[in-house]
Amino acid sequence: MTDLLWLIPALPLTGFLILLVTEGRLPNLAVAFIGAGSVGLAAVTTFVVGSGFLDAGSEPYAQTLWVWMDVAGFSANVTLYLDGLSLVMLGVITGVGFLIHLYATGYMAHEDGYSRFFAYMNLFVFAMLVLVLGDNLLVLYLGWEGVGLCSYLLIGFFHTEAENGYAARKAFVVTRVGDTAMALGLFLLVRELGTLEIQAVLEGARVAWPDGSTLCTAIALLLLGGAVGKSAQLPLQTWLPDAMAGPTPVSALIHAATMVTAGVYLIARMHDLFLLSPSAQLAVALVGLATLFLAAFSALTQTDLKRILAYSTMSQIGYMFLALGVGAWSAAIFHLMTHAFFKALLFLSAGSVISALHHEQDVRKMGGLWRRLPVPFWSMVVGSAALAALPLTSGFYSKDIILLTSWDFHAGGPWFWGIASAAAFVTALYSARMIFLVFFGTIKTEPEDSSGPNMWGVLVVLALLAVGGGWFGLAPLADVLPDGGLNGHEHSTSLIWITAAIPIVGIVVGILIFGSRQIKVDTLLQTGLAETLRRFWFGGWGFDTFYDAVLVRPFVLLAGANKNDVVDLAYRGIAALARSSNRLLAKTQTGRLRWYASSMAFGLALVLLVVLEVL
Amino acid sequence: MQTAIAVPIEHVLVLAAALFLIGFTGVLVRRNVIFLLMSLEIMMNACGLAFVVAGARWIEPDGQIMYMFILSLAAAEVAVGLGLVLQLERRHRHLDIDAASELEG
Repeated sequence: MTDLLWLIPALPLTGFLILLVTEGRLPNLAVAFIGAGSVGLAAVTTFVVGSGFLDAGSEPYAQTLWVWMDVAGFSANVTLYLDGLSLVMLGVITGVGFLIHLYATGYMAHEDGYSRFFAYMNLFVFAMLVLVLGDNLLVLYLGWEGVGLCSYLLIGFFHTEAENGYAARKAFVVTRVGDTAMALGLFLLVRELGTLEIQAVLEGARVAWPDGSTLCTAIALLLLGGAVGKSAQLPLQTWLPDAMAGPTPVSALIHAATMVTAGVYLIARMHDLFLLSPSAQLAVALVGLATLFLAAFSALTQTDLKRILAYSTMSQIGYMFLALGVGAWSAAIFHLMTHAFFKALLFLSAGSVISALHHEQDVRKMGGLWRRLPVPFWSMVVGSAALAALPLTSGFYSKDIILLTSWDFHAGGPWFWGIASAAAFVTALYSARMIFLVFFGTIKTEPEDSSGPNMWGVLVVLALLAVGGGWFGLAPLADVLPDGGLNGHEHSTSLIWITAAIPIVGIVVGILIFGSRQIKVDTLLQTGLAETLRRFWFGGWGFDTFYDAVLVRPFVLLAGANKNDVVDLAYRGIAALARSSNRLLAKTQTGRLRWYASSMAFGLALVLLVVLEVL
Repeated sequence: MQTAIAVPIEHVLVLAAALFLIGFTGVLVRRNVIFLLMSLEIMMNACGLAFVVAGARWIEPDGQIMYMFILSLAAAEVAVGLGLVLQLERRHRHLDIDAASELEG
């Protein structure tokens, strides 16, 4: 059944094209059927293809559709490539994607541009599928830019407000910085290996370059640059919190479950390059470690519900990068999957809360909602438990392996473990804070629940996945990634117990601080230092201020100084000359016939005199 | 059939030039369109005369053929010109070529 592979990206593309050509003239019900249905059919096809693939012994399967280009010794085919890694990604994209589409049919029902929304969402799913199925880095790059475009379009979906447009442009420009690095990496690969076919590149790299070769490090670091931009890691993370300007299903699908994890996929896909270059792999681990730590503290201080989740997403992707860096390849993809479940759940339940409170996103104005909104409450509790990695939830299984493997990392493993565990503690703390601020205490804004069965049904399904999604591990990955699946090393029992206990301690402390208020932090927070620190974390560790001062302002200043474009001066001069001579000559056109005749006679006489050499 | 030319060619050319200048002066000084057209006829006939005398001088038929052309051209020109004159009369109730100017240079 694997030859149906082409159908998986084709279905959302068809949905997009139908919604595109009908230009919003279809009734909402038809739009919902096309928009969510095309992704649902893709999910079914993924299931069929996936079971066929697993029955056939998980042999990698390539399906060449057509030759894209074949020029000057460089050729690129549009080939879809299915192996364990892309199958997991397919499952996440179509499965979670379908659930989010289903939720959005209800969530977006009262917004303008219903059809436009689903057209963009379907295009996004198509581009993301192209990204993970591409057998060629060029095809991957096509999908990579496609999801970037859709991210831009959907962040700025409510385009009547100027700041949403600003957030969209910021996301586009910042990720473009990473994409440029990635493009340079691809150019280097073409120059050195003459091909962009992923399998050929991986094999060629192993043959052509020795361990730790500078060239390989350069290419790996450039690819890491692309991954860092797309996955909102340090130092290109500033766009993600602002990207929350988009509708909540968009945040769930693009900025939590799928697109932002594309960087993790890229590094996992190109793992041989990173294995050849230990320093590049160390860089991946360090980027992840720094991001997960900084973002966790920022999440602790946010007041906007969606921004809490955005920083949390950043932090969790940091764990994935850490996993890639310390060699827990499968655990990174495993965490990608479980994170897609519980973060989509968190975003969607946050969306239900926000819409029930008439688009109020400030957690300080929420409270006491747990009786009034039971389904969002319980889904958020489950999602937060998985996010904090409480035992038996899906997040526990994936994050546990990452933490334990980081202990064994050759370059200062215990340090990595220690920092990542501290951030895991903070993760539990901010999860508890979020739950208590939103759902307990006194009611500050009266909720009005308007969600239909398609919305809370999705929450229930995602809650089940967020709990059980980690119980069975990820068998298909074993043949693809170099660590041979999820079975890690042996660890001492005390380390295992401590690692498992950290989130529980975090939750308990969180309950004592934010719930029962037995630990008094108010006096501590009133001190000047705490306030400064809170502001610093609230603003995302000052990265935005820094970039604003170093890059944005000088650029705006330069652009302002050169508003009248120096280069254009010459061309404007030519235009002015032509215009003034036109004005002069136009004066001679008086319409006086006899005046014309006499000037003709005068001219003729002049010519005659010249010809006859009298003058 | 060689016949002696009674009138020297220079005299005829001077006559033609004089006619041409008279016509041209008429074009310049007259404001009435009818007189303008008549002056143009005079100029064309001056040209025709020059052609004919040149043809006779070099014993070539070209000069007379050219005169035929000029005649037909003059006929066509008058037809169009008189049409324009009628239109001008209709629209402006006068035949003053200067007053009819509508171009703003």
